[in-house]
Amino acid sequence: MIGQIIKKQLLLLWRNPMQLVLLAGLPIILIAILGTALSGMMEGGSPNINMKIGFINHGDEEKQIDQFIADMEEELPSETVESIRPAVEQWKPAAMLKDVFDNEELKEMTQFNEAQPAERDKILADDSYTAVIEIPENFTYETLENRILDKTNEPALNVSLNNGHQIGSSIVNDILHQFQEQLTLGEFLANEGIDQTVLQLDEGLVPGDKTSISQKNPVSAKDYYAVGMAVMNVLFIASTIGSIAFLERQIHVFDRVILANVSRWIYFIGTFISASIISALHLLIVYGFAWAVYGVSWPNLAAFFTVTLAFAIAVGGIAVLLTAISYRFNSEVIINFFSGIIVTLMAVLGGSFFPIGDSSPFIRMLGNLTPNGAGMSSYLKIIRGDGIVEISSHLLFLAVFALVAIIIAALSFPKRGASI
Amino acid sequence: MLELVDLSKKFKQIYAVKNLNMFIEKGEIIGLLGPNGAGKSTAISMLTSLVEPTDGDVRFHNKSILKKPAPLRAVIGMVPQEIALYDDLTAQENLQFFGRIYRLKGAVLKKKIDEILELIGLTDRRKDVVKTFSGGMKRRLNIGVALLHDPEVIVMDEPTVGIDPQSRSYILETVKRLNAERQMTVLYTSHYMEEVEFLCDRIYIMDKGDLIASGTKEEIKRILSAEKTISIKADRFNDTFIDLLEQNPTINRVVAEEKEVTIITAKETNLFSDLIKMAEDTGIELNSVDVKTPTLEDVFLHLTGRALRD
Ligand SMILES: Nc1ncnc2c1ncn2[C@@H]1O[C@H](COP(=O)(O)OP(=O)(O)OP(=O)(O)O)[C@@H](O)[C@H]1O
Ligand SMILES: [Mg+2]
Repeated sequence: MIGQIIKKQLLLLWRNPMQLVLLAGLPIILIAILGTALSGMMEGGSPNINMKIGFINHGDEEKQIDQFIADMEEELPSETVESIRPAVEQWKPAAMLKDVFDNEELKEMTQFNEAQPAERDKILADDSYTAVIEIPENFTYETLENRILDKTNEPALNVSLNNGHQIGSSIVNDILHQFQEQLTLGEFLANEGIDQTVLQLDEGLVPGDKTSISQKNPVSAKDYYAVGMAVMNVLFIASTIGSIAFLERQIHVFDRVILANVSRWIYFIGTFISASIISALHLLIVYGFAWAVYGVSWPNLAAFFTVTLAFAIAVGGIAVLLTAISYRFNSEVIINFFSGIIVTLMAVLGGSFFPIGDSSPFIRMLGNLTPNGAGMSSYLKIIRGDGIVEISSHLLFLAVFALVAIIIAALSFPKRGASI
Repeated sequence: MLELVDLSKKFKQIYAVKNLNMFIEKGEIIGLLGPNGAGKSTAISMLTSLVEPTDGDVRFHNKSILKKPAPLRAVIGMVPQEIALYDDLTAQENLQFFGRIYRLKGAVLKKKIDEILELIGLTDRRKDVVKTFSGGMKRRLNIGVALLHDPEVIVMDEPTVGIDPQSRSYILETVKRLNAERQMTVLYTSHYMEEVEFLCDRIYIMDKGDLIASGTKEEIKRILSAEKTISIKADRFNDTFIDLLEQNPTINRVVAEEKEVTIITAKETNLFSDLIKMAEDTGIELNSVDVKTPTLEDVFLHLTGRALRD
């Protein structure tokens, strides 16, 4: 019986190609427009992005260089020491890194704050920072050892990225990678005749609740808007299904179902399941396009499907909630209000149009308390390389949201069918 | 078999149906007549268990269906006033969907669908989507869907509204056939007197939520037996003439239209010469003055002072 209702629902959508095109086509077009128009902004150079970068040097670079030369003089012949001395004196990775962030080009979009080690805890706890870069105490000395004396311990920077600042942290991430590459390519060192060894950014240093740079793949503008538009547009599935259900009541099709001695719960469950299935299909179609056309790919497919399923179920919950309320009040107002206003609000809060959560932790929290926002955060985390564990709180929220929506819907679903 | 007992339905402050009593026996065709807003749809929604009454009871084989509607639902077919079909599905798909809802499947369902399409004359349009249908075809399919589970009782709410004369007589004939060939009990609501006169054994007349008359066709027409209806025709009338008619103590009711004035008066009064004189005095040139045999339309006019339709 439920199968019949689902089959009919799919058939109805199938017979409305216009609606299908609109539902699936719109996000695809929007991804193209937003992704292209705003990719400049995402890849740097726009004043709209505000990054705040903390920089803590736990050591003293000059002292370490002097120390290194002094130590070498004890072990090596003085000619050798003299030949490499100029290069060693040039080797100031901490200062170079500082210059990278604290320069004119980035001034417009970054606020650079060099802090004392004593302030470390305070800065790490401060959510307004996009990233905190820490140079460990003997960093310069150890890199010199590593490079020149071929000692194996590879020193690492401590980089804490603030996950909430999605664009900002991916920019910092990109810059660090470039910096590392440049070091590796030896642009800084080759001229000086020093061995080029890799300056490794450590992969596993995750202070506090912030995620380290290690797992990060950068999120491109196309990625961002593919996710933003997909999670927003699928919300319209809920209102579409709600409208169909309300129409079924208006034209007394629902009465026919009731008169056939079919429980209203069968109808209710059928509506919920078909909305969830259609939402999942919709997401897969949009992401399929985004993958084929814009190259939006998923490093962790299992996590991707899990989020898609959880999110589709949450949308199914919204669909039955809208259906039940419209039945209760015998009016479509709630459905139109949802598709006309609430979806837009939820999309803005959830970050579909721009990473609004970066502006304040409170808004980010609100955003993650919308199903689309939770879905979006999960999808972006997956693109960046996170797995199911890291998105489990969002998944849990989606499940709870769906459950609450279904319960409220069930409680408000009227006992009798007819509207006269 | 089916009884409405002191049934009332109140929406906010107004009664859509007030203390309605009605019974339907097996094999009857019952007419429920009334103008717009009379409460017909409300009454049958309560009768079919779709709306809970404010007061009163609905009994099927002497058992209340208010708490336990399943036995009634199993044998009742409902043709709603609206076209309760999926516009985007074909005739066959609609029948299939509702058939499955009625738990029919496989060969049984297929046979049933063929039979119904034949009955409602849509066999050659079965593969077309409903939105391409004419109003009459949609109405026929609307009835067809209600017949899928072979109901014992079929309730039809204005099944002929807004359709062409051919479809209309097709539907009326179909209803007669269902009753004659399958002993199907029919409750038929309408505001067309002639339909109810043609179809029904017994008739209930509602107005503004109240039952204003009931009985067999003959019984109802007998309400008028002490009166007669006179139709006066002219190219135009004036207010003075109408006033004179209304002031005449022997005339019970006056309904004035542009070219026709209908009056009801006691059977034995002879108004003929009075009418001629009144016309002369007020400068009206009469075309005809006829005494009509009473119709149900006249009964309604008699009971309410209003025409059934404007
Ligand atoms: N859900 C409702 N809420 C409030 N009032 C209602 C509702 N349904 C019907 N009514 C009122 O009850 C009265 C009877 O309506 P009903 O639809 O039963 O009349 P009807 O005889 O079927 O008329 P029609 O010939 O136009 O179909 C009307 O005055 C109508 O406005
Ligand atoms: Mg009605």
